[in-house]
Amino acid sequence: MNLEGFLACPSCDVLFDISTLEDGESAHCSRCGHFLSTYRADATQRVIAYTSSALMLLALACSYPFMSFKASGLESVMTLPQTALNLWHYGMPGLAFLVAAFIIFIPALVLVLMLALNVALLFERDCDWLRPVGRLIYWLQNWSMVEVFFIGVLVSLVKIGHMATVIMGLSFWAYALFSLFFVLSLAGLDRAQYWQRIEALQS
Amino acid sequence: MRNVAVDAPLTAASQGLASCHLCLKLAAANQQRCPRCGAALHLRKSNSLERTLALLLTACVLYIPANVLPIMVTDQFGQPTPSTIIGGVVLLIDMGSVAIAAVIFFASVMIPVSKLAMMFYLCWSVRKGPAETVRQRTVLYRITEFIGKWSMIDVFVVAILVALINLSNLLVIRPGAAAMAFAGVVIVSMLAAESFDPRLMWDQREKSDE
Ligand SMILES: [Zn+2]
Ligand SMILES: [Zn+2]
Repeated sequence: MNLEGFLACPSCDVLFDISTLEDGESAHCSRCGHFLSTYRADATQRVIAYTSSALMLLALACSYPFMSFKASGLESVMTLPQTALNLWHYGMPGLAFLVAAFIIFIPALVLVLMLALNVALLFERDCDWLRPVGRLIYWLQNWSMVEVFFIGVLVSLVKIGHMATVIMGLSFWAYALFSLFFVLSLAGLDRAQYWQRIEALQS
Repeated sequence: MRNVAVDAPLTAASQGLASCHLCLKLAAANQQRCPRCGAALHLRKSNSLERTLALLLTACVLYIPANVLPIMVTDQFGQPTPSTIIGGVVLLIDMGSVAIAAVIFFASVMIPVSKLAMMFYLCWSVRKGPAETVRQRTVLYRITEFIGKWSMIDVFVVAILVALINLSNLLVIRPGAAAMAFAGVVIVSMLAAESFDPRLMWDQREKSDE
């Protein structure tokens, strides 16, 4: 049988032909309901727009005050890198490393790699690094916790809101938008479709 | 949305094909590496049940220090007050923030505990589960996979409070050892969900159909 355009459901192993999907359509497994693939003709342009916006917003979010806290005439200001650096300062380098990785380094790396991959696909350049970069993206993407951190920020706000005045900095808004664009970038990077395109480019 | 089914469910394994876990390429199951992306190729995730169970047990062990040790220490006027995860929830209820207590309780207690319980059940059900519930069990697995990282909320809350509340002698929040243990629980249980292979449940059903 000709396997071109076929994939097996990752949850239940049933074979499906996804080559007939039209622009904007998604396919779900008919046996277990698992999402299989979605096809968008303009995926590359979209992902380039989302990832480059997200990267700029992350740079902004790392360079300005995130929140400040005022009580009894005293004020303390927090920046995004400090969420990890202060843990280090209190003798928890392991946790500092994990927090930095989950909210800054892994998302930033995934975005840079996604941008490079999509630029290569846009110009139909076949490069040796496409396969390892693709592998790294799909391996790392489960380990970014951008949206989880953002909910953590909101929970912290409610937790301490009554104790003192908390003021949001520029970086807070930048990170909120960054979370949004990050989620959109990942959603645009359909696994089956992207690997089919990488393969087509290399053959 | 459209289902692109072939009439009778035809599995990749029944055709001697393995599906690459990373790029979804179908390739002859006897190959070592995926011809498309180069990742290691397996018909099913290797030693799925043993690895999942070992990771689940590790998560259970780590869950003890995560709850017994303080997750953060509040120094108010130089007076240290350690608080545990449950202690923090109780404190929030006392202060009247019931909604936020519910969020923390949900993310830090309900999600990790029910996730571990669900994963144990799924592992057990691969061999002993009723065939007619396999679709529901697959959905259950996808839920455990999706909610895994949301338990990190509490660790992030600690990281944020530690960074934000730093008023020299007046009020300082320090991280406690439970934060690391709790991050460990979340990471290990995410790895457990990743090593579980839901296709084993469907394989079992096909075997029982024959
Ligand atoms: Zn399926
Ligand atoms: Zn592959």
